[in-house]
Amino acid sequence: MFFAGIDIGSTITKIVIREDGGRQVALVRPTGAGHRRLADRVMEEALEQAGLTFDRIAFVVATGYGRVNVPFADAQLSEITCHMKGVNRLFPGVRTIIDIGGQDSKGIKVVNGKIGSFVMNDKCAAGTGRFLEVMADSLGLGLEETGEMALVSRSPVSMTRICTAYVGQEIVLRMSEGVPLEDIVAGVHQALCGRICSMVNKIGIEKEVVLTGGGAKNPGVVKYMEKIIGFPLLRPAEPLLTGALGASLAAQDLWRKAAAEGRAASPRERTLAPVSFFQ
Amino acid sequence: MAVLAGLDVGSLLAKAVILDEAEGILAHSVRLVAGNFQTAARDVLNAALDNCGLTAGTVASLGTTGLGAGFVNGPSLRNTEISCQARGVHYLLPRAGSVIEIGDQSTRVIRLTGQGKVADCVISDKCAMGSGRVLQVIARVLRITLEEMGGLSQEATRPVSFSTGCSVFVETEVISRIAEGAGVADIVGGLHRAMAVKIGGMADKARLEGDIAAAGGGACDPGLVKMLEKVIGQKVLVVDRPLLTGAVGAALMAAESRGRG
Repeated sequence: MFFAGIDIGSTITKIVIREDGGRQVALVRPTGAGHRRLADRVMEEALEQAGLTFDRIAFVVATGYGRVNVPFADAQLSEITCHMKGVNRLFPGVRTIIDIGGQDSKGIKVVNGKIGSFVMNDKCAAGTGRFLEVMADSLGLGLEETGEMALVSRSPVSMTRICTAYVGQEIVLRMSEGVPLEDIVAGVHQALCGRICSMVNKIGIEKEVVLTGGGAKNPGVVKYMEKIIGFPLLRPAEPLLTGALGASLAAQDLWRKAAAEGRAASPRERTLAPVSFFQ
Repeated sequence: MAVLAGLDVGSLLAKAVILDEAEGILAHSVRLVAGNFQTAARDVLNAALDNCGLTAGTVASLGTTGLGAGFVNGPSLRNTEISCQARGVHYLLPRAGSVIEIGDQSTRVIRLTGQGKVADCVISDKCAMGSGRVLQVIARVLRITLEEMGGLSQEATRPVSFSTGCSVFVETEVISRIAEGAGVADIVGGLHRAMAVKIGGMADKARLEGDIAAAGGGACDPGLVKMLEKVIGQKVLVVDRPLLTGAVGAALMAAESRGRG
C-alpha cells in the first residue's frame, strides 16, 4: 500500500511517496511561476523513481500554499498540520518546531503529538527567507555563499532597518563605512533570526526544538538561531521534506479511517492531470 | 545682505533653500543624492545660491537635517527631521495644526503646538509600506513614472485590495494581479489605498488636530493625497513646495539658535 504527500511551497515543491512501514521516495523541485501545471509532472517523476503507476497510490494529500492546485489530491490539509506530523515522526521528543520558508515562517508548539498552538508570519518579508534572498541578490551572491560567509564573521553589524525593501541600501551604506562584508552578511542573518525568535517566543520556545524549511539548510541561520535560543537545535536530514512527509502520513491516517468506517477513501475517480481553469 | 540657508539631505533627495528673514524663500534647489551625501549636499547648496546670485560668504547661518546631514562640510547646526518638518510647515502654512510628511524611507505624522513645535509624533521608518519607497518600487514594476501615478489612481474604478501589508510581497502580488488582468489604474488605486490606511492609522495614534498639511515627496502625488483625505475623513492641505519643508525648518531653527547664542 502506497501513500503520497505533496507540499507546494512558494519557492519549492516537495513530494514524498511512502510504502506503509517500508521504503520512501522523495523529490524536491523548484515551484516557479507555472505551479498550476506542475503538480502532475512532479508526481509523475516521483512515480517513475519509485517504479510505480498512479493507480497504486491509495491516497494523496496536498499541502502548502499551492495545495488547491493539485486536482488529483484526495484531501488538502494545512501546512501546519502536515509539518507537525512529519517532524513528530522524525523526532518524537519535539516540543517546538520553527519553520523558515521562502515566503513565510512559523512556530508550532507540539503537545502530546498534537498542535498546542502556533504563530505564523506571512505579512512581512523581513521575517522570512525572502530577506536573505534579497540580501544575496543585492550582493550578487548565492544563498549558499552568504550562508557560509555568515559563519566567518566575528562581529556581526546590528541592522538599523529591518524592512526588506531597505536592506540593499543598508548594505551599501555599511560597505561605504568600511564594514567587512562578512560582518554585514552575518548581521542580516542575525536580524532575521532575532525576528523569528521573538515571534516564536510568543508561544514559548521549549526543548526539543526542531528547525525545518529552507532556513534549516543555511548554516548562518542555524548558527544565529542557536546563539539566540541558547541551546542546539535538531534538524532533519532533509529539512525541506517534513511537510510532504507529514502529508503522506496524514494520507495513510485518512485512508485507514475511511477503511475502518467501511467507505471508499477517495470520493471520485482521479487521474493524474494538470489543474484546469474550469475546475 | 545676510541670508539663512537650510539643507535637508534625505536618503533619496538633497534639498537646499536660501531664506531672507523679511522676504521669505529667495531660492531653492533639489537634486538626487545618488549614493554620495557629501557631494550632493555641497552641490545642492551651491546651486541654490547660484539661483539667487549669492555666494557662500553671504550665508549668516546654515541649518541641516536629514539622514545625510552628518556629511555636510563646514560650520552648520543640525536639527532632527521632525522638529525641522514641524517648523518648516508652520512657516509655510501657519494655519496647519498637524503634518503628514511622506518621505522616501519614512513617514512622519506630527501634531503641532501653536508655535510650530512638536506636540506629538508617530514615525514609520521600519517598514517601507508606509513610505514613498513602495511607490517607487511599484512604479518600476508597472513601468510608469511617479508623476503618472497620481492621475492613474483617480481613474481607478475597482482598486485592487492586497492580501499583504508588506511592500516586498505587494511587489510580487502586483505581478500576479497584472497576470490576472487587473488594470494599472486599479493597481495604483489599491496601492494608494493601502498606504493611506497605514498612514491613517498613524494619524489616529498621534491624535491629529486642526488643519492637516501634507509634505514630502508623497504630497506631490495627488492620488495618494485624495486617498488620505478619504481615509482620514478630512481635507488634507498640500504645502506649497512640499519637498522643501525640512530645509526651511532647518534654516529657521539654525537662525533662531544663533540669535539666542
